[in-house]
Amino acid sequence: MRADTAAGRADARHVSPLRVIRRPWAVAAAVAGVLVVTLGGAGLSWASGTGRSAMPVGRPPVTGTPRSHWAAVSAPTAPAQVVPLPTGMVIPAIGVRTKLIQLGLAASGTLQVPADVGVAGWYTGSPRPGGTGSAVIVGHIDSVNGPGVFFRLRELKPGDLVYVQRTDGKMAVFKVTLVQTFLKSRFPTAAVYGPVPNAQLRLITCGGTFDVATGSYLSNVVVFAVLQ
Amino acid sequence: MKSRSLAQRVARTAAAAVFAAFGFGAALIAVSAPLASASSEVGWIRLAHLSPNAAPVDVYLYSFGNPNAHIVLDHVGYGTVSPYEQVAAGEYTVAMRATGAPSGSSPVLSTAVNIAPGHAYTVAGLGPAAGLRLVVIPDELTTPPGKALVRIIQASMHKVTVTAGSTRLAARLKFAHVTSYFTVEPGTWPIRATGGGKSVTASISLAAGTIHTLVVLDEPGKLGLDVLLDAAGSKVPPAGGPRTGFGGTAARPGDTLVPWAVAVLGGLVVTVTGTAIMTRRRRPALHAR
Repeated sequence: MRADTAAGRADARHVSPLRVIRRPWAVAAAVAGVLVVTLGGAGLSWASGTGRSAMPVGRPPVTGTPRSHWAAVSAPTAPAQVVPLPTGMVIPAIGVRTKLIQLGLAASGTLQVPADVGVAGWYTGSPRPGGTGSAVIVGHIDSVNGPGVFFRLRELKPGDLVYVQRTDGKMAVFKVTLVQTFLKSRFPTAAVYGPVPNAQLRLITCGGTFDVATGSYLSNVVVFAVLQ
Repeated sequence: MKSRSLAQRVARTAAAAVFAAFGFGAALIAVSAPLASASSEVGWIRLAHLSPNAAPVDVYLYSFGNPNAHIVLDHVGYGTVSPYEQVAAGEYTVAMRATGAPSGSSPVLSTAVNIAPGHAYTVAGLGPAAGLRLVVIPDELTTPPGKALVRIIQASMHKVTVTAGSTRLAARLKFAHVTSYFTVEPGTWPIRATGGGKSVTASISLAAGTIHTLVVLDEPGKLGLDVLLDAAGSKVPPAGGPRTGFGGTAARPGDTLVPWAVAVLGGLVVTVTGTAIMTRRRRPALHAR
Protein backbone atom coordinates (compact mmCIF):
# COMPACT_ATOMS: atom_id res chain seq x y z
CA MET A 1 0.00 0.00 0.00
CA ARG A 2 2.63 2.46 1.08
CA ALA A 3 5.05 1.10 -1.50
CA ASP A 4 2.40 1.69 -4.20
CA THR A 5 1.90 5.23 -3.03
CA ALA A 6 5.61 5.83 -2.98
CA ALA A 7 5.94 4.47 -6.51
CA GLY A 8 3.02 6.66 -7.62
CA ARG A 9 4.60 9.73 -6.14
CA ALA A 10 7.89 8.84 -7.76
CA ASP A 11 6.20 8.52 -11.19
CA ALA A 12 4.37 11.78 -10.74
CA ARG A 13 7.71 13.49 -10.20
CA HIS A 14 9.19 11.84 -13.26
CA VAL A 15 11.87 10.06 -11.34
CA SER A 16 13.33 7.08 -13.07
CA PRO A 17 12.86 3.72 -11.31
CA LEU A 18 16.63 3.42 -11.50
CA ARG A 19 16.81 6.29 -9.02
CA VAL A 20 15.12 4.13 -6.49
CA ILE A 21 17.60 1.34 -6.98
CA ARG A 22 20.43 3.80 -6.53
CA ARG A 23 19.42 4.08 -2.90
CA PRO A 24 19.34 0.48 -1.81
CA TRP A 25 19.54 1.33 1.87
CA ALA A 26 16.54 3.61 1.64
CA VAL A 27 14.62 0.82 -0.03
CA ALA A 28 15.76 -1.62 2.62
CA ALA A 29 14.73 0.81 5.34
CA ALA A 30 11.29 1.33 3.85
CA VAL A 31 10.74 -2.40 3.41
CA ALA A 32 12.00 -3.10 6.91
CA GLY A 33 9.70 -0.41 8.24
CA VAL A 34 6.66 -1.92 6.57
CA LEU A 35 7.68 -5.30 7.95
CA VAL A 36 8.04 -3.95 11.48
CA VAL A 37 4.69 -2.16 11.29
CA THR A 38 2.99 -5.32 10.08
CA LEU A 39 4.60 -7.58 12.68
CA GLY A 40 4.09 -5.03 15.43
CA GLY A 41 0.44 -4.61 14.53
CA ALA A 42 -0.02 -8.36 14.53
CA GLY A 43 1.70 -8.60 17.90
CA LEU A 44 -0.42 -5.77 19.27
CA SER A 45 -3.68 -7.43 18.34
CA TRP A 46 -2.44 -10.81 19.58
CA ALA A 47 -1.19 -9.38 22.87
CA SER A 48 -4.35 -7.39 23.56
CA GLY A 49 -6.34 -10.58 23.11
CA THR A 50 -4.26 -12.64 25.55
CA GLY A 51 -3.36 -10.07 28.18
CA ARG A 52 -3.02 -10.76 31.86
CA SER A 53 -6.35 -10.82 33.59
CA ALA A 54 -6.35 -7.96 36.06
CA MET A 55 -8.63 -9.70 38.52
CA PRO A 56 -8.70 -8.24 42.00
CA VAL A 57 -7.85 -10.32 45.02
CA GLY A 58 -10.84 -12.42 45.97
CA ARG A 59 -11.56 -10.32 49.03
CA PRO A 60 -13.55 -7.16 49.45
CA PRO A 61 -11.29 -4.13 49.06
CA VAL A 62 -10.80 -2.01 52.11
CA THR A 63 -12.18 1.48 51.97
CA GLY A 64 -11.09 4.23 54.29
CA THR A 65 -9.07 3.73 57.43
CA PRO A 66 -9.49 0.68 59.62
CA ARG A 67 -11.63 0.52 62.74
CA SER A 68 -11.05 3.57 64.83
CA HIS A 69 -10.71 1.83 68.20
CA TRP A 70 -7.47 0.25 67.01
CA ALA A 71 -4.95 2.65 68.45
CA ALA A 72 -1.86 3.12 66.34
CA VAL A 73 1.47 2.01 67.71
CA SER A 74 3.47 5.21 67.61
CA ALA A 75 6.94 4.11 68.63
CA PRO A 76 8.94 0.90 68.79
CA THR A 77 8.05 -1.01 71.89
CA ALA A 78 10.72 -0.97 74.56
CA PRO A 79 12.83 -4.13 74.46
CA ALA A 80 11.85 -5.12 77.97
CA GLN A 81 8.22 -5.43 76.92
CA VAL A 82 7.02 -8.34 74.85
CA VAL A 83 5.62 -7.19 71.52
CA PRO A 84 2.19 -8.78 70.82
CA LEU A 85 1.93 -11.36 68.05
CA PRO A 86 0.54 -10.28 64.66
CA THR A 87 -2.87 -11.66 63.74
CA GLY A 88 -3.87 -9.90 60.53
CA MET A 89 -2.94 -7.31 57.97
CA VAL A 90 -4.75 -4.66 55.93
CA ILE A 91 -3.27 -2.84 52.92
CA PRO A 92 -5.96 -0.44 51.65
CA ALA A 93 -3.98 0.69 48.58
CA ILE A 94 -4.10 -2.77 47.00
CA GLY A 95 -7.25 -4.18 48.57
CA VAL A 96 -5.53 -6.68 50.86
CA ARG A 97 -7.20 -7.86 54.05
CA THR A 98 -5.77 -11.09 55.37
CA LYS A 99 -5.18 -12.98 58.56
CA LEU A 100 -1.54 -13.72 59.32
CA ILE A 101 -0.46 -17.29 59.92
CA GLN A 102 2.89 -18.24 61.45
CA LEU A 103 5.67 -19.53 59.21
CA GLY A 104 8.95 -21.20 60.10
CA LEU A 105 11.73 -22.67 58.04
CA ALA A 106 11.38 -25.66 55.73
CA ALA A 107 13.83 -28.56 56.06
CA SER A 108 15.83 -27.10 53.18
CA GLY A 109 16.40 -23.89 55.14
CA THR A 110 14.10 -21.90 52.91
CA LEU A 111 11.21 -19.89 54.28
CA GLN A 112 7.93 -21.79 54.63
CA VAL A 113 5.13 -20.33 52.54
CA PRO A 114 1.38 -20.41 53.30
CA ALA A 115 -0.43 -23.49 52.00
CA ASP A 116 -3.40 -21.22 51.23
CA VAL A 117 -2.52 -18.71 48.49
CA GLY A 118 -5.23 -16.42 49.89
CA VAL A 119 -3.49 -15.70 53.21
CA ALA A 120 -0.15 -14.19 54.19
CA GLY A 121 2.16 -15.33 56.96
CA TRP A 122 4.66 -13.84 59.39
CA TYR A 123 8.09 -15.47 59.69
CA THR A 124 8.40 -16.43 63.38
CA GLY A 125 12.21 -16.15 63.16
CA SER A 126 11.88 -12.43 62.40
CA PRO A 127 11.06 -9.69 64.91
CA ARG A 128 7.38 -9.14 65.68
CA PRO A 129 5.79 -6.32 63.66
CA GLY A 130 6.06 -3.07 65.61
CA GLY A 131 9.04 -4.18 67.69
CA THR A 132 12.61 -3.18 66.93
CA GLY A 133 13.86 -4.91 63.79
CA SER A 134 12.60 -5.97 60.39
CA ALA A 135 9.47 -8.14 60.58
CA VAL A 136 9.01 -10.40 57.54
CA ILE A 137 5.60 -11.22 56.00
CA VAL A 138 5.24 -13.36 52.87
CA GLY A 139 2.31 -14.23 50.62
CA HIS A 140 1.67 -15.77 47.23
CA ILE A 141 1.34 -13.76 44.03
CA ASP A 142 -0.80 -16.50 42.50
CA SER A 143 -1.94 -20.11 42.49
CA VAL A 144 -1.80 -22.34 39.41
CA ASN A 145 -4.93 -20.70 38.06
CA GLY A 146 -5.48 -17.30 39.65
CA PRO A 147 -4.27 -14.41 41.81
CA GLY A 148 -3.01 -14.83 45.36
CA VAL A 149 -3.13 -12.52 48.36
CA PHE A 150 -0.06 -10.52 47.20
CA PHE A 151 -1.02 -10.42 43.50
CA ARG A 152 -0.95 -6.63 43.54
CA LEU A 153 1.98 -6.18 45.94
CA ARG A 154 4.22 -4.69 43.25
CA GLU A 155 1.65 -1.90 42.76
CA LEU A 156 2.45 -0.46 46.20
CA LYS A 157 4.20 2.89 46.18
CA PRO A 158 6.26 4.79 48.75
CA GLY A 159 3.88 6.43 51.19
CA ASP A 160 1.22 3.69 51.06
CA LEU A 161 0.19 2.41 54.47
CA VAL A 162 0.25 -1.14 55.81
CA TYR A 163 -1.74 -1.98 58.97
CA VAL A 164 -0.73 -5.00 61.02
CA GLN A 165 -3.29 -6.16 63.60
CA ARG A 166 -1.97 -7.68 66.81
CA THR A 167 -3.26 -9.79 69.66
CA ASP A 168 -3.51 -6.73 71.92
CA GLY A 169 -6.07 -5.23 69.54
CA LYS A 170 -3.70 -2.46 68.51
CA MET A 171 -2.44 -1.82 65.01
CA ALA A 172 1.13 -1.27 63.96
CA VAL A 173 1.01 1.19 61.07
CA PHE A 174 3.84 1.07 58.56
CA LYS A 175 4.61 3.41 55.69
CA VAL A 176 6.06 1.96 52.48
CA THR A 177 9.51 3.39 51.64
CA LEU A 178 10.65 1.21 48.74
CA VAL A 179 9.24 -1.43 46.39
CA GLN A 180 11.80 -3.39 44.43
CA THR A 181 12.11 -6.59 42.38
CA PHE A 182 15.18 -8.78 42.86
CA LEU A 183 16.32 -11.84 40.94
CA LYS A 184 16.11 -14.83 43.29
CA SER A 185 19.73 -15.55 42.36
CA ARG A 186 20.61 -12.14 43.83
CA PHE A 187 18.17 -12.03 46.72
CA PRO A 188 19.28 -9.28 49.16
CA THR A 189 19.36 -11.45 52.30
CA ALA A 190 21.08 -8.83 54.47
CA ALA A 191 18.72 -6.01 53.49
CA VAL A 192 15.63 -8.16 54.04
CA TYR A 193 16.55 -10.28 57.08
CA GLY A 194 19.47 -8.38 58.64
CA PRO A 195 19.27 -6.30 61.82
CA VAL A 196 17.88 -2.76 61.69
CA PRO A 197 17.69 -0.31 64.60
CA ASN A 198 14.05 0.73 64.23
CA ALA A 199 10.71 -1.02 63.66
CA GLN A 200 10.42 -2.00 60.00
CA LEU A 201 8.45 -4.39 57.82
CA ARG A 202 9.30 -6.47 54.76
CA LEU A 203 6.54 -7.85 52.52
CA ILE A 204 7.69 -10.49 50.06
CA THR A 205 6.08 -12.26 47.11
CA CYS A 206 7.17 -13.57 43.73
CA GLY A 207 7.48 -11.65 40.52
CA GLY A 208 9.31 -11.22 37.27
CA THR A 209 9.44 -13.98 34.70
CA PHE A 210 7.77 -17.32 35.39
CA ASP A 211 10.06 -20.20 34.47
CA VAL A 212 7.74 -22.90 33.16
CA ALA A 213 10.54 -25.49 33.29
CA THR A 214 11.04 -25.18 37.06
CA GLY A 215 7.52 -23.99 37.87
CA SER A 216 8.95 -21.01 39.69
CA TYR A 217 9.18 -17.26 39.32
CA LEU A 218 12.71 -15.98 38.76
CA SER A 219 12.36 -12.90 40.96
CA ASN A 220 10.95 -11.69 44.27
CA VAL A 221 9.08 -8.46 44.85
CA VAL A 222 10.09 -6.93 48.20
CA VAL A 223 8.28 -4.04 49.91
CA PHE A 224 10.25 -2.13 52.55
CA ALA A 225 8.21 -0.22 55.13
CA VAL A 226 8.94 1.70 58.35
CA LEU A 227 6.73 2.04 61.44
CA GLN A 228 5.01 5.41 61.44
CA MET B 1 21.95 13.90 -11.69
CA LYS B 2 25.20 12.09 -12.26
CA SER B 3 27.11 14.75 -10.38
CA ARG B 4 25.59 13.60 -7.12
CA SER B 5 28.45 13.48 -4.68
CA LEU B 6 29.58 10.37 -2.91
CA ALA B 7 29.37 12.20 0.38
CA GLN B 8 25.67 12.90 -0.12
CA ARG B 9 24.96 9.29 -1.00
CA VAL B 10 26.83 8.09 2.04
CA ALA B 11 25.01 10.59 4.23
CA ARG B 12 21.57 9.56 2.97
CA THR B 13 22.36 5.87 3.20
CA ALA B 14 23.62 6.36 6.73
CA ALA B 15 20.50 8.32 7.68
CA ALA B 16 18.27 5.57 6.33
CA ALA B 17 20.28 2.94 8.16
CA VAL B 18 20.10 4.91 11.40
CA PHE B 19 16.33 5.13 11.15
CA ALA B 20 16.05 1.43 10.39
CA ALA B 21 18.24 0.65 13.39
CA PHE B 22 16.14 3.01 15.51
CA GLY B 23 12.98 1.12 14.60
CA PHE B 24 14.34 -2.17 15.88
CA GLY B 25 16.41 -0.68 18.68
CA ALA B 26 13.46 1.13 20.22
CA ALA B 27 11.49 -2.09 20.35
CA LEU B 28 14.43 -3.93 21.94
CA ILE B 29 14.94 -1.25 24.57
CA ALA B 30 11.25 -1.36 25.47
CA VAL B 31 11.45 -5.13 26.01
CA SER B 32 14.60 -5.11 28.09
CA ALA B 33 14.00 -2.00 30.19
CA PRO B 34 15.94 -2.53 33.43
CA LEU B 35 14.31 -2.33 36.83
CA ALA B 36 14.47 1.03 38.46
CA SER B 37 16.73 0.85 41.46
CA ALA B 38 15.88 3.64 43.86
CA SER B 39 17.75 2.88 47.05
CA SER B 40 16.81 4.86 50.10
CA GLU B 41 19.82 6.60 51.58
CA VAL B 42 18.94 6.70 55.25
CA GLY B 43 20.78 6.28 58.52
CA TRP B 44 19.86 6.34 62.20
CA ILE B 45 20.80 8.42 65.21
CA ARG B 46 19.86 8.35 68.87
CA LEU B 47 20.76 10.79 71.58
CA ALA B 48 21.71 10.09 75.18
CA HIS B 49 22.58 11.83 78.43
CA LEU B 50 25.08 9.67 80.32
CA SER B 51 26.81 12.11 82.65
CA PRO B 52 25.80 11.28 86.27
CA ASN B 53 26.32 14.66 87.85
CA ALA B 54 25.32 16.88 84.93
CA ALA B 55 21.96 18.63 84.99
CA PRO B 56 19.18 17.69 82.56
CA VAL B 57 19.55 19.28 79.12
CA ASP B 58 17.59 20.01 75.95
CA VAL B 59 19.11 18.15 73.01
CA TYR B 60 18.82 19.46 69.46
CA LEU B 61 19.54 17.66 66.19
CA TYR B 62 20.22 19.89 63.19
CA SER B 63 20.62 18.90 59.59
CA PHE B 64 23.77 20.65 58.36
CA GLY B 65 23.03 24.13 57.03
CA ASN B 66 19.45 24.18 58.33
CA PRO B 67 18.97 26.48 61.34
CA ASN B 68 15.67 24.78 62.25
CA ALA B 69 16.17 21.76 64.49
CA HIS B 70 15.28 18.38 62.98
CA ILE B 71 14.28 17.11 66.40
CA VAL B 72 14.37 18.57 69.90
CA LEU B 73 14.37 16.45 73.05
CA ASP B 74 13.34 18.48 76.08
CA HIS B 75 14.58 17.95 79.61
CA VAL B 76 16.78 14.94 78.95
CA GLY B 77 18.08 13.64 82.27
CA TYR B 78 20.94 11.33 83.16
CA GLY B 79 20.39 7.78 81.94
CA THR B 80 18.03 8.75 79.13
CA VAL B 81 18.61 7.19 75.70
CA SER B 82 16.21 8.23 72.93
CA PRO B 83 14.81 5.80 70.35
CA TYR B 84 16.60 5.82 67.02
CA GLU B 85 15.54 8.54 64.63
CA GLN B 86 15.65 7.53 60.96
CA VAL B 87 17.15 10.39 58.94
CA ALA B 88 18.50 11.05 55.46
CA ALA B 89 22.21 10.29 55.35
CA GLY B 90 24.45 13.35 55.62
CA GLU B 91 25.99 15.86 57.96
CA TYR B 92 24.23 16.71 61.21
CA THR B 93 24.97 18.73 64.32
CA VAL B 94 23.95 17.69 67.82
CA ALA B 95 23.73 20.50 70.35
CA MET B 96 22.95 20.48 74.08
CA ARG B 97 21.50 23.47 75.88
CA ALA B 98 20.53 23.95 79.51
CA THR B 99 16.92 22.91 80.07
CA GLY B 100 14.60 25.70 79.04
CA ALA B 101 17.33 27.77 77.39
CA PRO B 102 16.11 29.56 74.23
CA SER B 103 16.69 27.60 71.05
CA GLY B 104 18.61 30.55 69.67
CA SER B 105 21.07 30.66 72.56
CA SER B 106 24.60 29.36 72.35
CA PRO B 107 24.69 25.65 73.12
CA VAL B 108 26.66 24.33 76.07
CA LEU B 109 28.03 21.59 73.86
CA SER B 110 27.79 20.68 70.21
CA THR B 111 29.33 18.18 67.84
CA ALA B 112 29.16 17.32 64.16
CA VAL B 113 28.13 13.83 63.12
CA ASN B 114 28.32 12.37 59.62
CA ILE B 115 25.53 9.82 59.20
CA ALA B 116 26.54 7.37 56.51
CA PRO B 117 23.77 5.54 54.62
CA GLY B 118 22.76 2.32 56.36
CA HIS B 119 24.68 3.17 59.54
CA ALA B 120 23.54 3.98 63.07
CA TYR B 121 25.08 6.23 65.71
CA THR B 122 24.62 7.00 69.38
CA VAL B 123 25.55 10.55 70.33
CA ALA B 124 25.97 10.71 74.07
CA GLY B 125 26.88 13.36 76.59
CA LEU B 126 29.61 11.53 78.51
CA GLY B 127 32.05 12.30 81.28
CA PRO B 128 31.76 14.27 84.52
CA ALA B 129 29.84 17.53 84.54
CA ALA B 130 33.11 19.46 84.66
CA GLY B 131 34.47 17.67 81.59
CA LEU B 132 31.23 16.87 79.82
CA ARG B 133 31.66 16.10 76.13
CA LEU B 134 29.51 14.83 73.28
CA VAL B 135 30.75 11.54 71.96
CA VAL B 136 29.72 10.03 68.61
CA ILE B 137 29.58 6.24 69.04
CA PRO B 138 29.14 4.15 65.86
CA ASP B 139 26.63 1.34 66.37
CA GLU B 140 26.97 -2.08 64.75
CA LEU B 141 24.18 -3.34 62.48
CA THR B 142 25.32 -6.82 61.48
CA THR B 143 25.82 -9.98 63.51
CA PRO B 144 27.78 -13.12 62.72
CA PRO B 145 25.30 -15.83 61.58
CA GLY B 146 23.35 -17.26 64.51
CA LYS B 147 25.02 -15.01 67.11
CA ALA B 148 24.14 -11.98 69.19
CA LEU B 149 26.28 -8.93 69.88
CA VAL B 150 26.53 -7.01 73.14
CA ARG B 151 28.66 -4.08 74.30
CA ILE B 152 28.91 -1.92 77.39
CA ILE B 153 28.74 1.82 77.86
CA GLN B 154 30.17 2.52 81.30
CA ALA B 155 28.31 5.57 82.59
CA SER B 156 28.97 5.06 86.31
CA MET B 157 31.62 7.07 88.16
CA HIS B 158 32.97 3.83 89.62
CA LYS B 159 35.28 1.29 88.04
CA VAL B 160 32.94 -1.50 87.02
CA THR B 161 33.37 -5.17 86.24
CA VAL B 162 30.71 -6.81 84.09
CA THR B 163 30.11 -10.55 83.77
CA ALA B 164 27.72 -12.62 81.67
CA GLY B 165 27.26 -15.94 83.46
CA SER B 166 30.78 -17.09 84.24
CA THR B 167 32.28 -15.04 81.42
CA ARG B 168 33.89 -11.76 82.37
CA LEU B 169 33.05 -9.22 79.68
CA ALA B 170 35.01 -6.31 81.12
CA ALA B 171 37.13 -5.80 84.25
CA ARG B 172 37.42 -2.51 86.15
CA LEU B 173 35.99 -0.57 83.24
CA LYS B 174 36.56 3.17 83.67
CA PHE B 175 33.86 5.81 83.64
CA ALA B 176 32.81 6.97 80.14
CA HIS B 177 34.42 3.98 78.46
CA VAL B 178 32.62 2.26 75.56
CA THR B 179 33.64 -1.33 74.85
CA SER B 180 33.70 -2.95 71.45
CA TYR B 181 31.06 -5.59 70.75
CA PHE B 182 31.26 -9.08 72.22
CA THR B 183 29.92 -11.96 70.15
CA VAL B 184 27.73 -14.17 72.34
CA GLU B 185 25.70 -17.33 71.93
CA PRO B 186 21.97 -16.64 71.84
CA GLY B 187 20.10 -17.39 75.04
CA THR B 188 19.20 -15.94 78.40
CA TRP B 189 22.22 -14.51 80.17
CA PRO B 190 22.59 -13.48 83.83
CA ILE B 191 24.40 -10.13 83.72
CA ARG B 192 26.14 -8.73 86.78
CA ALA B 193 27.88 -5.40 87.12
CA THR B 194 29.89 -4.57 90.24
CA GLY B 195 31.83 -1.46 91.22
CA GLY B 196 32.39 0.84 94.19
CA GLY B 197 31.06 -1.85 96.52
CA LYS B 198 27.72 -1.84 94.73
CA SER B 199 26.27 -4.18 92.14
CA VAL B 200 23.33 -4.84 89.85
CA THR B 201 22.10 -8.02 88.20
CA ALA B 202 19.73 -8.62 85.32
CA SER B 203 18.65 -11.58 83.27
CA ILE B 204 18.65 -10.63 79.61
CA SER B 205 17.49 -12.53 76.57
CA LEU B 206 19.89 -12.27 73.66
CA ALA B 207 18.32 -13.67 70.48
CA ALA B 208 20.40 -14.56 67.44
CA GLY B 209 20.55 -11.67 65.02
CA THR B 210 20.15 -9.04 67.75
CA ILE B 211 22.53 -6.33 68.95
CA HIS B 212 22.42 -4.92 72.47
CA THR B 213 24.05 -2.17 74.49
CA LEU B 214 24.28 -2.44 78.29
CA VAL B 215 24.52 0.94 79.99
CA VAL B 216 25.89 0.87 83.54
CA LEU B 217 24.44 3.77 85.53
CA ASP B 218 24.89 5.29 88.96
CA GLU B 219 21.67 5.23 90.94
CA PRO B 220 21.16 6.40 94.50
CA GLY B 221 22.96 3.84 96.66
CA LYS B 222 23.32 1.28 93.88
CA LEU B 223 24.25 0.64 90.29
CA GLY B 224 21.70 0.63 87.47
CA LEU B 225 21.71 -1.36 84.27
CA ASP B 226 19.86 -0.20 81.16
CA VAL B 227 19.52 -2.92 78.53
CA LEU B 228 19.09 -1.41 75.05
CA LEU B 229 18.04 -3.38 72.01
CA ASP B 230 20.07 -1.58 69.36
CA ALA B 231 18.95 -3.59 66.36
CA ALA B 232 17.20 -6.85 65.50
CA GLY B 233 16.93 -9.06 62.43
CA SER B 234 15.83 -12.59 61.72
CA LYS B 235 17.27 -15.26 64.05
CA VAL B 236 18.07 -17.45 61.05
CA PRO B 237 17.96 -15.78 57.64
CA PRO B 238 16.04 -18.15 55.32
CA ALA B 239 17.97 -19.47 52.35
CA GLY B 240 17.26 -17.52 49.17
CA GLY B 241 13.99 -15.87 48.24
CA PRO B 242 10.68 -17.54 49.17
CA ARG B 243 8.76 -19.50 46.52
CA THR B 244 5.49 -17.65 46.55
CA GLY B 245 3.90 -18.27 43.18
CA PHE B 246 2.59 -21.01 40.96
CA GLY B 247 2.41 -19.09 37.70
CA GLY B 248 -1.36 -18.88 37.36
CA THR B 249 -1.13 -15.20 36.46
CA ALA B 250 2.37 -15.32 34.98
CA ALA B 251 3.20 -13.05 32.11
CA ARG B 252 3.05 -14.78 28.74
CA PRO B 253 5.24 -13.60 25.85
CA GLY B 254 2.57 -11.30 24.43
CA ASP B 255 1.41 -9.96 27.74
CA THR B 256 2.53 -6.41 27.41
CA LEU B 257 1.49 -4.15 24.58
CA VAL B 258 4.32 -1.66 24.94
CA PRO B 259 7.00 -3.36 22.80
CA TRP B 260 4.51 -3.97 20.03
CA ALA B 261 3.28 -0.40 20.11
CA VAL B 262 6.87 0.84 20.02
CA ALA B 263 7.57 -1.48 17.08
CA VAL B 264 4.59 -0.07 15.19
CA LEU B 265 5.61 3.52 15.83
CA GLY B 266 9.26 2.83 15.06
CA GLY B 267 8.30 1.01 11.89
CA LEU B 268 6.12 3.91 10.78
CA VAL B 269 8.99 6.33 11.29
CA VAL B 270 11.31 4.08 9.29
CA THR B 271 8.79 3.66 6.48
CA VAL B 272 7.98 7.32 6.18
CA THR B 273 11.63 8.34 6.34
CA GLY B 274 12.77 5.65 3.94
CA THR B 275 10.03 6.58 1.48
CA ALA B 276 10.86 10.24 1.76
CA ILE B 277 14.52 9.57 1.02
CA MET B 278 13.63 7.28 -1.91
CA THR B 279 11.40 9.81 -3.58
CA ARG B 280 13.09 13.00 -2.57
CA ARG B 281 13.54 15.28 -5.50
CA ARG B 282 16.87 16.98 -5.48
CA ARG B 283 17.04 20.53 -6.63
CA PRO B 284 19.59 20.86 -9.42
CA ALA B 285 21.00 24.01 -7.86
CA LEU B 286 22.21 21.98 -4.96
CA HIS B 287 24.02 19.60 -7.25
CA ALA B 288 25.46 22.00 -9.74
CA ARG B 289 28.92 21.11 -8.75
